[in-house]
Amino acid sequence: MLGDIITPDLFASALRMATPLALAAIGGTLCERSGVVNIALEGIMLTGAFFGTAAVLATGNPWMGVGAAMLAGVAISSIHAFASVNLRADQVVSGTAINLLALGVTGFLMELWYGHPGTTASIQVLRPIFSFSSPGGGFLAEVWRWVNGIVFSHTPIVYLTIIIAVVAQWAMYRTKWGLHLRALGEHPRAVDTVGVSVYRGRWVAVLMSGALAGLAGANLTIEQVGSFTENMTNGRGFIALAANIFGRWTPVGSYLASLLFGFADALQIKLQILRDVITVPPQFFLMLPYVLTVIVLAGVIGRAVAPAAVGEPYKKG
Amino acid sequence: MSEPREEIPVQRAWMAIAQKIGTPILSAALAIAIGSFIMWISGYDAPAAYGALFKGAFGSPKQIGDTILRATPLIFTGLAVAYGFRAGLFNIGAEGQLFMGGLAAAALGVFLVGQPWILVAPALLIASALAGAAWAFIPALLKARIGAHEVITTMMFTYIARYLVSWLVVGPLKAEGQIPQTAALMPEAQLPRIQGLFSQGALEAFPFLNLGRAHLGIAVAIIVATIVWLILKYTTLGYENRAVGFNAFASETAGISVQWTTVKALCISGALAGLAGSVEVMGVHHRIFDQFSSGFGFTGIAVALLAKNHPLGVIPAALLFGALSAGAGTMQLEAHVPQKIILIIQALVIFFVAAEEIILWFVRRRQKEAMSHAG
Amino acid sequence: MPVLELREVTKVFPGVIANDRVSMTLERGEIVALLGENGAGKSTLMNVVYGLLSPDHGEILLDGKPTKIRSPRQAIDHGIGMVHQHFMLVEPLTVTENIVLGREPGRFGIIDFADARAKVAAISKRYGLKIDPDARIMDLSVGMQQRVEILKALYQGAGVLILDEPTAVLTPQEVRELFAVVQSLVAEGLSVVFITHKLEEVMAVADRIIVMRGGAVVGETRPSETDAVGLARMMVGRDVVLSIEKGATTCGDTVLDVVELQVKDDRGLDAVAGVTFNVCGGEIVAIAGVSGNGQSELIDAIVGLRTPSAGSIALMGVDITHASARASIEAGVSHIPEDRHRRGLVLEFDLAENLVLGDHRSAPYASHGFMKPRVVAEMARTRIADYDIRTPSEKVLASSMSGGNQQKVVVAREIGRDPELLVAAQPTRGLDVGAIEFVHKQILAAREAGKGVLLISLELEEVLSLADRILVMYEGRIVREFVGGEADAETLGYHMTGGGGSKLDEGAQTEAAGAAPSEGEVVR
Repeated sequence: MLGDIITPDLFASALRMATPLALAAIGGTLCERSGVVNIALEGIMLTGAFFGTAAVLATGNPWMGVGAAMLAGVAISSIHAFASVNLRADQVVSGTAINLLALGVTGFLMELWYGHPGTTASIQVLRPIFSFSSPGGGFLAEVWRWVNGIVFSHTPIVYLTIIIAVVAQWAMYRTKWGLHLRALGEHPRAVDTVGVSVYRGRWVAVLMSGALAGLAGANLTIEQVGSFTENMTNGRGFIALAANIFGRWTPVGSYLASLLFGFADALQIKLQILRDVITVPPQFFLMLPYVLTVIVLAGVIGRAVAPAAVGEPYKKG
Repeated sequence: MSEPREEIPVQRAWMAIAQKIGTPILSAALAIAIGSFIMWISGYDAPAAYGALFKGAFGSPKQIGDTILRATPLIFTGLAVAYGFRAGLFNIGAEGQLFMGGLAAAALGVFLVGQPWILVAPALLIASALAGAAWAFIPALLKARIGAHEVITTMMFTYIARYLVSWLVVGPLKAEGQIPQTAALMPEAQLPRIQGLFSQGALEAFPFLNLGRAHLGIAVAIIVATIVWLILKYTTLGYENRAVGFNAFASETAGISVQWTTVKALCISGALAGLAGSVEVMGVHHRIFDQFSSGFGFTGIAVALLAKNHPLGVIPAALLFGALSAGAGTMQLEAHVPQKIILIIQALVIFFVAAEEIILWFVRRRQKEAMSHAG
Repeated sequence: MPVLELREVTKVFPGVIANDRVSMTLERGEIVALLGENGAGKSTLMNVVYGLLSPDHGEILLDGKPTKIRSPRQAIDHGIGMVHQHFMLVEPLTVTENIVLGREPGRFGIIDFADARAKVAAISKRYGLKIDPDARIMDLSVGMQQRVEILKALYQGAGVLILDEPTAVLTPQEVRELFAVVQSLVAEGLSVVFITHKLEEVMAVADRIIVMRGGAVVGETRPSETDAVGLARMMVGRDVVLSIEKGATTCGDTVLDVVELQVKDDRGLDAVAGVTFNVCGGEIVAIAGVSGNGQSELIDAIVGLRTPSAGSIALMGVDITHASARASIEAGVSHIPEDRHRRGLVLEFDLAENLVLGDHRSAPYASHGFMKPRVVAEMARTRIADYDIRTPSEKVLASSMSGGNQQKVVVAREIGRDPELLVAAQPTRGLDVGAIEFVHKQILAAREAGKGVLLISLELEEVLSLADRILVMYEGRIVREFVGGEADAETLGYHMTGGGGSKLDEGAQTEAAGAAPSEGEVVR
């Protein structure tokens, strides 16, 4: 039975499940490092998922969908940037408004454009990049089956996410932009007094988080599901926030933490398939990622230190 | 010297009151205006849509009853969110506590068959409040002890609650038959309809009493809102709640236990949300099933913000959102505008209340214009 | 030609003229002290120069050319550097990262950290400002952090350096080091504006002194042409009372008895390492010490905000070692906290609500869980009258009051409660002279009324003028005790920096003794 659960596919699935969480979590990291809380990740992801799907439906080209998803993410996150940076609104409340807005706008446009609520038609999806055939039999073939399954079975955004995590980590600690970002969330006035714009720095960070969360939505619809369903993000934006905290506000940390949640999700799905053998109601498996999030938060906070100025609006002068 | 000094605060007090009431009204108006703009660019007839919406919400006593019906749980969730905000806590997970409250009422109600209404109804309300409080307890504890952000934890507990209910209604608590739901509550466990309290003659004499599905829960809601208001204003519990919400450090220095106040505040918030679940179960559905709440917990956030977290302000704010939701059906039927527009308007209201600066900017610009016209 | 000249600079805030037609000059290689009380407009003026505020009237001339400075960036580009009172340093970042912030060396947006480190090392060597370029700011002492700020300004190419109250947070020894640094900077051709309200520093370091009061320049002089008393008169606008009338001590019963107390700080280190002392009724005991030597933790333990790890605290013979903040208030401990905005007041509460804070559960203000608004309002009105709080009514929000009035509210609440022991931490910080006199009078009145008073202050003048006994705290221990009148500022400063202890070698001791600034003659 254990052999049925622990398969290459379990780990491959963990990587897939981790991808949207990781993208949103890295977005959250950039945003919070600049001093802006972004609980709107959930809504931004949903927006990206919808507009990505809509673009594919309109053009038939999945890559157009990816672009549209990121643009939509940037567009809706600009509202959050405007509210929290320029208007100095409560960032958590502004994020809540965006989550609701995303739910409303996607549902409204769904009915306007497709004439019905619920789920869209299926779309052209992005296929795995590689397809290697398995050579012969024996032990080596078994090893190849695992390597191929875990490493080479993925769609483009899954690989792209790993690259983004590494590049973001490098940029955060090696570039001017990264130094300014790290300083912004700790002591914005210090940044202002050396002549670097706090507003611009925060705007850029919020928009980047929008693009990343939008891309996460594209991954959900254009790579994983193949259609859009209302409210399909199902709390992933909040789990991503927890992953960002667990990853201690670093891109690679966020990615690794997302892997943990992704693995829980993959395991949960795997166990559901075995429902004839394991007589636990599926709802309990479905709860697993959420329970895990609470446990992780309970275990990690207190040791993880948030950026000092996160959530505090900055006023010039 | 002393004279102008005394006049300024008086004027400022008036300004403060005007701002307190004015910005929410302006926020709601602006949100509705933008809503019509969205309808217009989407090719809908906005005036007709709002006409239908108004008709659906206030067109007849029965429809007013529907507005009241929907406002009832919103008063509770609005109070829940507002009470949390007053302690500096954002209970975004009122929806989950609502589910647990509803669950408690539905489960216990079936169990208490045959007892008198006067015992059963209060018992169910109390049970649902306790269930809601219990569901908020772990996030509260995590917040107080280690600072885990309540926005994430209560949200996660909402998902857990939904799956829990979804399992119970197909599993242990499932009633006979195909539909996944619990058994219906007997009348002694229900909140009766308002029109059911009057004789047929009275209803004919006073047709405005034909409030359709509106039930006694609205009375409970108004009473509870008043109690919450009194608590915040006149009790040490409320004083400490507000003190911690404004300044936890000064509160701690003054001997107030910030941790304990946090736990109390989030649990009371959870209890209020739990009550929202029981009025829905006892007054509307008489049982619980998967989709028994249409996001009342989340709309409660908009209600609380629009009310500026004032317990009595929650009542009109809830009525506004109740009306929007009651009229949405008619609007879709007659003007074919998707009901989801209501969610957009809700989001805009939250946004405008949060970003008060926008509203104030509009006001200032108007004032400037008026001044320049005058000059 | 002056490197910096201000002509008729005026800055108006709603309801206040912060700078009223201020003109001044700064020559190359000169140290100009800008002297004035809190609120005299010194910092506002320099924020205008640094581009953080824009002037409503007047002009700024750099090297004789009228220049508009709209942002700190422009100020930096014009060679103006500023070390702010609250440091503009990012705590988790390293020294190098902080210094190069905004002007990082490197290409294509990638920072050349080797180059950055080399540049920092070069500047630090040139001006003799030793620093570890890879240390994190949060691991540095306050004095070192200030050094980083100066290095940052130098890195940015500052020719004019503005120091805003630079000595407020320093030990006497660090102050002396800072003065040496400033002298060497001037020798290298820089010009320095030194903002302060401490007379003795002005006398020690300035070439020229500009005195401000109420937003305007009221006088200009040189150290050789004046003395502390003359400067004080110019600064305050009237003769300053140089000593406080104080009756003889009549020590009553022991109010506070602290035995072998040990308290840990937030990081789990022993901040208070075995302290024994007592305070009796009718006595003011002052704890003198440089900030960060365990005073805050000691207060926290006494008022119940922190649990001691060993030892005992007794109030009127009753053990309160493990009492909560609330139990400690009920036992009769009142506390004027160090930071009134953070700990003393709820700014969003009105006056009445603030005046009842801490007593809000007790009779007569509450019973059975209900507040009694009428009783509270009546008490508030009495306090407002008794403590001369300037307000139209008790319903005014605390946030809309001036700093002095806010502190009066805290004092009124804490003394009005009629405690056995009054713990006053930095009770006059940031107040103007009138308010300081008022607070001092109230503390003395509490003493006359037979209360025990524990005063914690970084201001030596305050300690010397108020205390009946002075305990000097250094590295978590009481290293010396003086009976009032026995000590002077120099000796206190010497012991505060470990001079009397065994931690420093002999050389450092004599240095520290010489370093103590001569504050004795300017006691208020």
